[in-house]
Amino acid sequence: MNSLALNQFLALLYREVLENRNLFIGAPAVLAVLLFVFTAWIVSMAPEQELATAIEYLSVIFDGLSPVDMASIFMIPAIPFMMMLYFCGLIYLLNALYQDRKDMSVFFWQSMPVSNAKTVLSKVVTIGLVAPVFYVAILFVVYLIAVLWLTLLGFSYGVQVAGLGYMFLAAVASLALVYLSAFVTSLWLLPSVGWLLLFSAFAKRTPILWAAGVFILIGFLEDFIFGSQYLANWVESRSNPNQYFIYEFSDVTDRLLSYDMLFGVLVGSILLIGAIFMRRFID
Amino acid sequence: MLQLKNLLLRNRFSVLLATLTVYLLVLVVEGAITGREARVVDFENPFFDLTMRDFQDFRDARIEDNESDFSSADPDVL
Repeated sequence: MNSLALNQFLALLYREVLENRNLFIGAPAVLAVLLFVFTAWIVSMAPEQELATAIEYLSVIFDGLSPVDMASIFMIPAIPFMMMLYFCGLIYLLNALYQDRKDMSVFFWQSMPVSNAKTVLSKVVTIGLVAPVFYVAILFVVYLIAVLWLTLLGFSYGVQVAGLGYMFLAAVASLALVYLSAFVTSLWLLPSVGWLLLFSAFAKRTPILWAAGVFILIGFLEDFIFGSQYLANWVESRSNPNQYFIYEFSDVTDRLLSYDMLFGVLVGSILLIGAIFMRRFID
Repeated sequence: MLQLKNLLLRNRFSVLLATLTVYLLVLVVEGAITGREARVVDFENPFFDLTMRDFQDFRDARIEDNESDFSSADPDVL
């Protein structure tokens, strides 16, 4: 890829972030504020003695332990953010190739020297690589504020808080797990990504109804006509979050190079190619 | 080849149909080769085999039970 093509692609990614900053930045920021307010409310109601004991307990647990080994614990507070990422990703993918056709801006974008393949690929890269960066950044700010807050509280109660530094390092290490989980998820669910983009490029209105309706219809017809359930079984075999969540760094290569992952990428690519050809019809 | 391409890319519905056909073909072939079995909507249960004949047997059994109850009952009560 030459520098012009690279700059074009980076510009496409920048466009996606600008047009969807509510989904990629606003939504996790609001979630972080809500969680922070809820936590502050809980802490304000707890007795001081119990708070001091809890802070000391946290400090002792993490003190001296390897942050990488303890990182998986911090996947638990990241779950609401991961769920928010999936929800916002669903909305984003359904509107990705539909919204610009709806507001006619597609004519402007198609007048640019950018191919349909690059446009569709930029959507996939945005949801797989770019969007998780913002979620991870907001999680980092949340962890930083939480640790500073706990440290100040610990000082005010006269508790040893040296272990909170290790806890913060473990939380930072967990951000890599969160990012890797988001990336692996986008590859694992590439058939779903392709399906949503295909119907986002196809539907003249309500792409979500087309995407869900055609899926249900095909599953029903397969069962009714052929008596088989390959489609339903395919979806069922790939819908367990444990298949794409990364809890340890050593899991990454096993997940990325597994047969199911590679076959899913193949099937997702078929749907993405369909979405690229579908992008020709913008009437 | 060109005719086939023109046919597939004629309109949005032909593209959708072609894409979904290839998608399903790949899924079905892979499912058949790897031997994936349907598990989601499988209502078969060895402990509960529901057939219409069972309903008929059940009805016959109920009638027989009722007849035996009435035959053994005290005629004064009836």
